[in-house]
Amino acid sequence: MSDTRAPSSERDPGVDEIVRSRRGDGPVSRKLPGPVAWFDLRSRSTGHLAFSLNRITGLGLVGYLYLHLAVLSTLLGGEDSWNGFLELATTPLFLGLDLLLVFGLLVHGLNGTRLSLIGSGYVPNHQKASFWALMAFGAIVLVYTALHIFGGES
Amino acid sequence: MTTDGAAITATASMRTVRVHRFKRGDEAPRTEDHDVPVDERTTVLEALRYIQLHDDPTLGLRHSCFHASCGTCGVRVNGRERLACVTKLSEVSGTIAVDPIANLPVLHDLVVDMAPFLARFPHPHPIVRGSELVPGSVAPEGIDELDRYEDCIECGLCLSACPVAATDDTYLGPAALAYAQRLLEEPRGADRDAILDWADQDAGAWRCHAAFECTEACPSGVRPAQRIMALRKQLRRRRDDRSRDVATAAPPTGGPG
Amino acid sequence: MAATTSPERSTRSRSWRWTAVTGVSLLVLVTIHMVAHHFVVDEVGGLRTYQHVLDYISTPIIFVIEGVFLVVVTAHAMLGLRSVLLDFGLSEQRRRLLERGLVGLGVVTVIYGFVLIGVLASRA
Repeated sequence: MSDTRAPSSERDPGVDEIVRSRRGDGPVSRKLPGPVAWFDLRSRSTGHLAFSLNRITGLGLVGYLYLHLAVLSTLLGGEDSWNGFLELATTPLFLGLDLLLVFGLLVHGLNGTRLSLIGSGYVPNHQKASFWALMAFGAIVLVYTALHIFGGES
Repeated sequence: MTTDGAAITATASMRTVRVHRFKRGDEAPRTEDHDVPVDERTTVLEALRYIQLHDDPTLGLRHSCFHASCGTCGVRVNGRERLACVTKLSEVSGTIAVDPIANLPVLHDLVVDMAPFLARFPHPHPIVRGSELVPGSVAPEGIDELDRYEDCIECGLCLSACPVAATDDTYLGPAALAYAQRLLEEPRGADRDAILDWADQDAGAWRCHAAFECTEACPSGVRPAQRIMALRKQLRRRRDDRSRDVATAAPPTGGPG
Repeated sequence: MAATTSPERSTRSRSWRWTAVTGVSLLVLVTIHMVAHHFVVDEVGGLRTYQHVLDYISTPIIFVIEGVFLVVVTAHAMLGLRSVLLDFGLSEQRRRLLERGLVGLGVVTVIYGFVLIGVLASRA
């Protein structure tokens, strides 16, 4: 992997030592290229699964934020424009995507809570148990939400 | 099984070991398969030494103590960070893929450049540092006192397992940050503020995303992830203390001039 | 010690702190938002008709809550993107550029969101 970062004057001096210390120019050993490694769960454990899920749901939710704003912008076009969207939004496929959204929110929200606690120095020795406990709770909420969305009950 | 194959047991069978090969000047790394006689006790290091002695003497690898205390034989076995000297092949199924530890430049086959790993540590960084934490231990007869050395054997497995280090070669990493926390736990005259300043940089303690793979990979019980979280707690306390000091500081007296 | 004396040191912990604070706030705000939009209305999927939406967003307390939600979710999104992109090991110059870009994107997003709900509220 080549060093494409800016010259030393723009970085922490400690960081420069790491870059300068390297002898030879052989390739850096990587499991997988670039950010793909963030999502490679082979031979990895619960903590990495939580990290990968948090990252992918986070990026997905950022995308959803802008998609949501774009969809809501159809309201500016008046009732016909919005009704056109509602027709699409009430199809089973779209309701399924809604459920995917809820899944993403639950995973990111509950795991984020776990990370806030762990990152503040609390419960670091229970990181696996806390992840699975929160995901179990999230699964219950997801099932309830699915029943509501597809069942049409309030 | 001994490395010269003289005492292959009756239960020995052949296993395929797929080894990462790279020499300076090669365009790209490649892998090579070698069939190695193994029994239930054969370790990855013994298999690699067999390949060196019987198949290919140019195979490059590092090892020293043969008992997980020097940290030089770190490799990835089927993608998982392990010390080759204590990893039994019987624990690994299928073809055994042996690769160098990740996120460090490869010098030769399974040998990586450890200089960027060691450069990450705060300075000074004594490589052997006694620990006062010997709770409940009893010195044998004739021994006046026990002195336990730091757990970290600087094998680099934690850096290899870290998903942040996979994309950021400047991240200080689990070993260095855990070492800083150990300095705070037992300072012995070290400058506490300088250690916290060092950890508080962009590529420091706040970059960790709590994947805990470093703790999974560590063969020595250092628990780097937990130590990084404890380091964050220290940074937060210092920040709160400083805010409190600023808030309670007496206002300046006297006018200008 | 290989330490740095950058005056922007406090941004490191500050970013993490605000990500956590906005994240925890979103636990409440997202729940309110999702319940209001999927669990209160009897229509399929809980989605509101055009007039329902206008009546909903023109209610003062709702306008405030949705406005706060917009600001908090945008801040959390920008902080999260910053965290992900920093993992590529950016130089100091590129990091500053990234931060300025994300602040700009966040401001534009919030402004657009407020304009959108403002226009809709005024039509009710």
